[in-house]
Formats: sequence, C-alpha cells, structure tokens
Amino acid sequence: MKLLSGRRIVLATLALTCASGLFALPARAADNAKQFIQGFGTQLVAIVNSPVPLPEKKAKVLPLVQKNVDIDGIGRYCLGRYWKIATPEQRQHYLALFHEVLVNAITDKLGEYRGVSFTIGDVTKSGGEDSVNAILTRPQQPPASMQWIVGYDNGQPQVVDVIGEGASLRLTQRNDYSSFIARNGGSVDTLLVALQKQLDRHAQAAN
Amino acid sequence: MISGRNGSRLRPRAQDQNDQTREGSSVHRRFRLGTLCLGLVLVGTTGCSSIKAPVPKDPDALAEYKAANDPYEPLNRKVFNLTMKFDKWALRPAAKAYVWAVPRPVRNSLGNMITTMNEPSVFFNDVGAGKPRRAGDSFVRWCINMTVGVGGLIDVAKMAGFPHHDNDAGLTMANWGISSGPYLFLPMGPSSFRDGIGYGIDQGLSPWDYVPRGYGLVSFNWAYNMMGVVHGRSEHLEDLDALQRDALDPYATIRSAYQQQRKAQAEAIKNDHRATVPDWYQ
Repeated sequence: MKLLSGRRIVLATLALTCASGLFALPARAADNAKQFIQGFGTQLVAIVNSPVPLPEKKAKVLPLVQKNVDIDGIGRYCLGRYWKIATPEQRQHYLALFHEVLVNAITDKLGEYRGVSFTIGDVTKSGGEDSVNAILTRPQQPPASMQWIVGYDNGQPQVVDVIGEGASLRLTQRNDYSSFIARNGGSVDTLLVALQKQLDRHAQAAN
Repeated sequence: MISGRNGSRLRPRAQDQNDQTREGSSVHRRFRLGTLCLGLVLVGTTGCSSIKAPVPKDPDALAEYKAANDPYEPLNRKVFNLTMKFDKWALRPAAKAYVWAVPRPVRNSLGNMITTMNEPSVFFNDVGAGKPRRAGDSFVRWCINMTVGVGGLIDVAKMAGFPHHDNDAGLTMANWGISSGPYLFLPMGPSSFRDGIGYGIDQGLSPWDYVPRGYGLVSFNWAYNMMGVVHGRSEHLEDLDALQRDALDPYATIRSAYQQQRKAQAEAIKNDHRATVPDWYQ
C-alpha cells in the first residue's frame, strides 16, 4: 500500500509536471516568438540604418536572413501541389533558385528603409505557428502594421511568412507560381526557366 | 485597374503601407466611366469567346480552382489585359507626370481632400455595418476637415485623434454575412460580385450626386474625378512596377492579394468593438 501510494505520488507529480509543462508551453512559445522577432528585427534595423554602402549592407543581411528565415519551408509552401509531383532534381533546383529570389526580394528593399524603427505588439497563436504583430515606422510616413509568422519546424524559431495589409506573402506567392505553372502545361520546369530568367534580369539590372 | 477603387489596396509585395490611411478606397469611387467601360468590355468579349473557365477534374486542381473563386477567369483576364494596356499607355505616364510636376506636400493635401470628400460614404457604411464608434469617427472627420481643414486639404482630424479608416458597401455587406461571390476584374480594379454591387451603392451614397448641378460643380467633379484617378495611381507607382516585374502571373497575384485583403478588412471591421464614446471622454 505504501509502495502503491508512493508510486501514486510519483505518478501524480509526473502528471502535474507534464500538465504544467503543457500549460506553460504556449506562453513560453509566445515569449520565444516575441524575443526572436525582437532580436531579429533589432539586428536588421541596425544594419538598415547603419551608414555603410548598400552592397555592404546586403552582405551583412544575407547570413542573418539565411539563419532566421525558413527559406526552404517557404519555398516548399510556395510550390504548393506541384511540390508533390516535382522530381528530387527539380525540387533541389527550385529551392536553389527560390533562395536567390527571396534573398533578392529582401535585400532589394534595404535601401528604401533608411531611418526605420519598429515596435512589437501582441503574439497570437495559430496552429503550430505564432503571429507577432509589429508596427514599422519610417520618417515622414504613416506607421505600417504587419504580422510576422514564426514557425518551429527546424527546431528553432524562424520566420515563415509576413502578412502586410491582410495579405500573406507566401500565399500570394504560391498562387502566383501555381497559376503560372497551370497555365504553362503543368510543368515545373517552366517555372524553373521563368525563375532563372527573373534572376538573370535582376543581375542585369544590378550591373 | 490600379486606378480602381480597390486597386488602391494592392500592394501585396510592398511592405510599405504608405498613405493607406490617406487615400484609401475613396480615390476613384467616382470614376463613373468605369461602368460604361465594363458594359463595352462585356459586349466586346462575351461575343467572341467563352467567359467561363472549365472546371478541372483533378482533385488538387479542383481545390485550387475553388480557392481562387474565379469561374469567369477567361473574361476577367481579358479585362485585366485591356486595363493593363490602358495603364501602360495612359494612366501610368499621367501618374508619373503628376509626381514629377506636383510636389509631395501638395499631393498629400490633394489626397487628404479626396479622402475627406469620401467620408460621408464611409459614414453611411459604418452606420450600415452597425459600428457607431467608426461612424462617429468618420462623421467627426468630415466636420473637422471640411471646416478647420480647409475643405479637406489638411487632415486636422487625424491630428486630433481621428485617423481615417476605410469602409465601403462591399465591406458592409460582408459584415452582414453576404459572401463575396465570384471574383471579377473590372476596369476600376479587382472586385467581386458583392464588391461590384457595393461600388454602385457607394456611388449613390456620395452626397456630391445630390448637390444642385451647375457649371462650376460639373467642372469641379470632372477635375476631381480625373485627379482622383491619377493621384490614386501615383501612390502605387513603385509597388505596381515591382509587381509587374516580379510576379510570374500578375493577374493571379493581384487576385490572391485582393481576396486576402478584403477578407482581412471585413474581419477588422467585424472585430472592432471599441466603445462608442471617444477615448478622451472615458
């Protein structure tokens, strides 16, 4: 009996620990997401506002983006239903191109955001992801509010989407890609060619 | 398109929400030619080819088709292409010239005026949506800006704590639980059956239609409408250039962004439960 009650206490403690862990989990995750966006945002803003030339800023931002943005995850999401039918080679090729496209999209914006500051607001949970509200302030412009979606698929918090004016960037991108593929015979290769062309045009414009 | 009432919301890729509060949906609401253009386009296109997209059989493709909510895609794409041509050769150059010729502070003031002129329509829609606080805000904005704000040129109301918010009959109907119906691309911009009807209602809600007609007012209306369209387009020069450069299928990108944004706007209005009395009174 004594043994039994001892075991009961151990089990109860274990159950309680698990339960409290479970209850504490969302709060901790929300804090994590907030801290993560705060940290990432502060680093980004510091680079954007630093008085160094644009190419140097781009070089500094690149590792930061690669670490804190789940580019592969976003890429898979954006390919939508075509991810399933893509061959491993196509997937690999696509992700490599997508990396470049996304990094270009982010670094192209750097010049426009001089003098930016931001404040973090509430965190809401949706599914396995957290949505962090942020308000972006730029000189002589009205503040812009946006939501950063933070995912944990790779064991650490990473940005998986940005929602501005109610539109999710990754969903809009996915609809762009899937409509393009569907209208071009349903072949993933046409998308790869188009992305390559887009990158070539970008490189030409930069030179 | 971008000149369209709804086009003003389209900045899917741009993080910048620059001036959203200022120009909002009001800019081109009075672009009455749009209705005429729509009629012409409908007559021109329905006669020569199909207007409905075939329903796909593949389950994944079917799910995508349903999510896009665009059964009239072939017709919509024709209108989109025509609108983009008009934009490329007429509207965009006009907007660029406007930006070049008119300094930023003056453009801001004109944007304020256009927004203020549309406040009555926002007010009626706020009332229709059953949101007294929002209705009060737009009413106060109209009163302050039309008087102290010199006919709307200065947004004094914003400084006094009453920032502009968007509303239109499409959103009001959304709040009543009316679904959007299929997506439509109209010459004024991306829309839907519900929002297209809302556009018509908004025309009727504008008090400018009920002022006695006279030469001065007619001239003012023409100047105001045309300036509104050009001004609205000028606010999105960079965004839309970026969209056309980066999107592989700009039509689908605009459709997706528009549908998401309208949904979010309707949600935001629905979830606005602020008290009716202003903050300073509490």
